[in-house]
Amino acid sequence: MFNQLMQKGRQLAGIGSLVTALGLAAPALAQDKEPIVFGGSIPLSGVFAFAGIHGHAGLTDYTDWINSQGGIDGRPVQYVMEDTAYEVDRSVAAFKKITGSYSPPVYYGDSTGFMKSIASELNSMNSMLMSGASFATALTDNEQYPYQFIPGPSYSQMFGIILEYIASEGEGGDMPTVAFVYSDTEFGKDPIENSKARAAELGIDVVEEIVTKPGSVDVSAEVLKLRRVRPDYVVFHGYVLSPINEFMVQMRQMGLDTKFMGTFWSSDKLIIDKMGKDADGYMGIMPYNYYDAEESGPMLDALRAQAEKSDPEAGYRPTAYIQAWFNAMVWTEVIQRTLDAGKELTGDNMAEALASIKDWDTGGIMGIPVTVKDMSFPVGRIWRVNAAEGRYEPVSDWIHLD
Amino acid sequence: MDWLFFGEISLAGLAMGGLYALIALGFVIIYKATRVINFAIGEIMMFAAYLFLAFAGGMEMSPWVAVPLAVLGGALLGGVIEKTMIRPMLGESPIAVVMVTIGIASILVGLVELIWTADPQLLPSFLPRQPVFIGELYLAPKIAYGFLIGMAVLVIYLLYFRFSRGGVALRATASDQAAAYSMGINVRRVFNLAWVFGSLAASVAGILVAATGGLSPQFGIIGLSVLVVVIVGGLDSILGALVAGVFIGWLETVAGAYLGGEYRMPATFAVLAVILVFKPYGLFGTHEIERV
Repeated sequence: MFNQLMQKGRQLAGIGSLVTALGLAAPALAQDKEPIVFGGSIPLSGVFAFAGIHGHAGLTDYTDWINSQGGIDGRPVQYVMEDTAYEVDRSVAAFKKITGSYSPPVYYGDSTGFMKSIASELNSMNSMLMSGASFATALTDNEQYPYQFIPGPSYSQMFGIILEYIASEGEGGDMPTVAFVYSDTEFGKDPIENSKARAAELGIDVVEEIVTKPGSVDVSAEVLKLRRVRPDYVVFHGYVLSPINEFMVQMRQMGLDTKFMGTFWSSDKLIIDKMGKDADGYMGIMPYNYYDAEESGPMLDALRAQAEKSDPEAGYRPTAYIQAWFNAMVWTEVIQRTLDAGKELTGDNMAEALASIKDWDTGGIMGIPVTVKDMSFPVGRIWRVNAAEGRYEPVSDWIHLD
Repeated sequence: MDWLFFGEISLAGLAMGGLYALIALGFVIIYKATRVINFAIGEIMMFAAYLFLAFAGGMEMSPWVAVPLAVLGGALLGGVIEKTMIRPMLGESPIAVVMVTIGIASILVGLVELIWTADPQLLPSFLPRQPVFIGELYLAPKIAYGFLIGMAVLVIYLLYFRFSRGGVALRATASDQAAAYSMGINVRRVFNLAWVFGSLAASVAGILVAATGGLSPQFGIIGLSVLVVVIVGGLDSILGALVAGVFIGWLETVAGAYLGGEYRMPATFAVLAVILVFKPYGLFGTHEIERV
């Protein structure tokens, strides 16, 4: 116990302030050249730390891996980050500090709030492409956010995929009903209006909308509201774990046969680990293969090998790890395409390179080739919890929104 | 108007309010005896809930053993905090003492992240899962049993303060420190006792609330909601804590059900604003007259 504490203490002590992660195995040739810097405002503490810590591990491991492959265009990659505690002002301060010392062409933003706040500065700089933890629908607006992209489908697109799945479950024209349950945050509210419109287009009746505080809250009153409308499906958004568990357990205690679904941040294995058999049947949309999925591919295998190499004790890697790895994959692809075209690493050139991505094989990270649309990767698949096996299993084909 | 729905919502709100009252009691005991506004009360709740997680989850102890151990751990934490960090601040400005409690809260969050990581957690299930019906009214079992346990603890507290020597000493110290001291009451020990009892009440509430809504290092934020309760009830009034706790719990739930979840906090803060305008010392708080 003491040794574990000391080990964790050492780990956390090392990530308190500015951390520079350099690839150790980069070939000598690459190390002689000026490094390409991956910058990041990373929430290692605060409300999003559960994801930030794994995202940091994903970016660190990808950097080590790409350096072991010779870097990008023969140049080593250097990952520079700072803890933000998931606070926008600290994220902005971290951005200014890092961009004041380095010239990162790509940057990981930790929240929608930060990415919106920094947009005007990013636009005037025209020297950087940014992505990160956010899948906010607003970021698909190329006019307002020309240098920011989403490393998967936007939250609205995720709802679109979920609603398409629900519509496909309608039997004989009897379309299922749905309730949306979301947190009272910018993150939670992001896709709701678009999703109500999409549901109407598909003929799905949204019978209830529930807004709650995120995290640890009593939801028994909200469950009573849902008991009266008896939705066929409840879609959660803007949560990680609680109060999803309470909705599911209480509604089942009432004898309702409602099915439960969630978007990306509500679909990690954490739900299975913490809820146990109560999680059985829960469904989530995931644009990437899970770490323990049966699928494989050269990049997914490389990710697993690098994760095992960097921390053999860690075992399963959460979706935040894979999401961060995919961010860095896209950055690499975009930088490589820009340099191959003989262009400078400006925001405009990299955005153009990003938009040129068509039928891109992600090596098993995503299950089908992907084409960028409106600065996003609109791909996803519905997965369902098999509690006995302790994992998510696919229940739909990969869906690529046009 | 669906009266059945209103009844069910009200029942859920009153039950949650009972837990608010228990947390508020912990807050008020400490303030009443020591005049310290303890901003770390939410984090003490959180720490006790994590202790329960460690005992019942990690060490697989029976909940009957794990709950008392976790509650005692939380109470002990309160005592240690008072002795090592609050007592040296005696005589310092109230703002400085408040800042110390805010610092303690931050330290506890860091400690929890260090030991249990930043991942959200669920407590092992230890309350019955069968739905509870009162007549035709449904009540979620965790809320119902949590309320019953909370009320039992409240009654024990009230009896203790009314009839025991420690309770009388605590009330005497709260009423007039100098007079209590001159009558031979060990005031320093009473201060420590107040922190232990306040933290114990908060620890029971912490485990019950976390059993209902889950646990994370940010769990302590609930302490801020309870600040509304104690200001509405009166910072130094145990009766105020009970009445305001139940009322705020009911109001928050009814507002959430009929107006939407985003109106829970505005509804309670609206009540707070009105109370502060008309009764600045809260519904049952003591009027303090300062002459300069």
